[in-house]
Amino acid sequence: MDVWDSLQLGFTVAMTSQNLAYCLLGVSVGMVVGVLPGIGHLAAISLLMPLTFHVPATAALVMLAGIYYGAQYGGSIASILLNLPGTASSAVICLDGYPLTQQGRAGPALLITTIASFVGSMLSIIVLIFLAPPLAQLALSFHSADYFAMMVLGLVAAGSISQGKPLIGLASVVLGLLIGLVGIDVNSGAMRMTFGMPELFSGISIIVIAMALFGVVEVISSIGKMSGRKESKTTITMRGLLPTANEWRQTFWPMMRGSAVGTGVGILPGTGGGSMAAFLAYAVEKRSSKTPEKFGKGAIAGITGPEAANNAAAQSAFIPTLTLGIPGDAIMALMLGALMIHGIAPGPRVITESPELFWGLVVSFLIGNFMLLVLNIPLIQVWVKILQIPYRLLFPVIILLICIGVYSLNRSSVDVMLVAGFSAVGFLLLKAGFEAAPLLLGFILGPMLEENLRRSLMLSRGEFTVFIERPISATFLGLAALLLVWVIKGELKPKLASPATSGS
Amino acid sequence: MQRLQSKNFLAGVSAMLIGLFVIAVTSDYGFGTPRRMGPGFFPMILGGLLTVIGLLITLGSGRDSARFPKVDIRAYVAITLAILAFAILVSRIGFGPAGIVTLLLAGAADRGSNALRLLLLAVTIVPAVWLLFSVGLGVQVPFVMWRF
Repeated sequence: MDVWDSLQLGFTVAMTSQNLAYCLLGVSVGMVVGVLPGIGHLAAISLLMPLTFHVPATAALVMLAGIYYGAQYGGSIASILLNLPGTASSAVICLDGYPLTQQGRAGPALLITTIASFVGSMLSIIVLIFLAPPLAQLALSFHSADYFAMMVLGLVAAGSISQGKPLIGLASVVLGLLIGLVGIDVNSGAMRMTFGMPELFSGISIIVIAMALFGVVEVISSIGKMSGRKESKTTITMRGLLPTANEWRQTFWPMMRGSAVGTGVGILPGTGGGSMAAFLAYAVEKRSSKTPEKFGKGAIAGITGPEAANNAAAQSAFIPTLTLGIPGDAIMALMLGALMIHGIAPGPRVITESPELFWGLVVSFLIGNFMLLVLNIPLIQVWVKILQIPYRLLFPVIILLICIGVYSLNRSSVDVMLVAGFSAVGFLLLKAGFEAAPLLLGFILGPMLEENLRRSLMLSRGEFTVFIERPISATFLGLAALLLVWVIKGELKPKLASPATSGS
Repeated sequence: MQRLQSKNFLAGVSAMLIGLFVIAVTSDYGFGTPRRMGPGFFPMILGGLLTVIGLLITLGSGRDSARFPKVDIRAYVAITLAILAFAILVSRIGFGPAGIVTLLLAGAADRGSNALRLLLLAVTIVPAVWLLFSVGLGVQVPFVMWRF
């Protein structure tokens, strides 16, 4: 099937009224949670995952993905208007977006970021369309040892390229792997770490983990901080949205560079939901600018580059997820979880065996981004209003939705109790520096990692050299080892403020 | 004890304790051989790995003075209780009363919450959420019931 046939198939799938409706629902919810600080898109996706049980797999993924990239659009609104990042990846937008608001240029800033988001996404989707099928083809020749090595690299990257201390990030990954093993061992039928509880025999649901670590923990840690919320006094009229000719001129190249940076970073594992792409794009813009002193004081390039980058990364993150079955960050792990809930085994066969799912999803990205472009600007007043809902009325409702959402999975009170337990313990661990995203990645990959290890060792008659003898596997493991050495070297160095944290 | 307030020290010790706990639990699952991995093979290795990483974090914790952050205990306790209350009540008295209890308990997490406004929120939102899930999505959960 060539690209045009595939896209045609994608359009017929994505244009059904059901899929269009779920796409619209997804991007709208995404916009709202992106705008609202204190509810991340991770929380929103996990909240809505139970709902997707009742719809076909394609519609489910279309909606969940819509929340993700919709939130990337919405996130910049709170950053620009209130200096409050709605999502982690739009934190960078605050640096130049808020000064623009103070200078009375909020309208143009919002319009330009919307366009940058759109362009970044579109360019990245084009890369996805052309890169995914050959990559999946290549991945079909991978052996279990190669898969094992690839997952190890992904997990090491996710653990060590995190915001906090790399060693604790790695500990989070291992903890996630262990939680993923709870339940019946498919090979021997042995119960593992179930402590005699029948509810744990089939394992812990990804929804329980995600709701606890991203939903409840986020609510608990936001409660104190959100009470002193600033009010937006900015009013935006349609006429005030138009940028000047000079502002337009400063938009194009940063947008292109940002898209390229974002697409590249998004493909890499462990890069965490676009925030790294946005920071990198900001650095690139500042370095390539003729007037770097303007950055931080309202430079247009300082919002367009990062905004294009985080949207591009949000789309290209789907490349490894859908072609290799290896999620790059926590959201992609949730997407894989949704696939598995619908009985689709992630991996390179998804494109060939469920082309309508893959291409329908890809085309829904195109449609969803158009919807966002259209929704964003006329509705800016609505988004600003949403920003004024007091958090103290919002969070009890979120908690209630988490409870009923988890309960509705199996009508099991034990699942709800597990959420309480995981969030109570998880909250303390996260406060001590553990990280939720690498943990979730480990959780989803745990069983797959074990299975591929078992298979490779069985085929090699117990020889561990199989991982070094195969060139693909050796390359991945070599990269993982290099990363570990680099990380540990950084740990042993005398204490220095890391540039990433001191910059913000 | 300065040490006990250090973020990294606590993280390292927790990782070690969890690792050791996993080793203890999984040690009688059957380790097997690399060629025929038993059910305990992979978890034991991971448990060991977690213990070692925890040890490294603990040993290195002296060089970083970051303190364990202050926890809003009221929020922490109230939210946990709200979820537990839902788990215990929903299958006994139905979604309506359980939802109201959960919403009020969760609302109590914020010092500035107004009891009357919370109650108003509860009586409007709880039926709406119930309609969404039971009518909209066909989740079978009665609004009011009595079973102990």
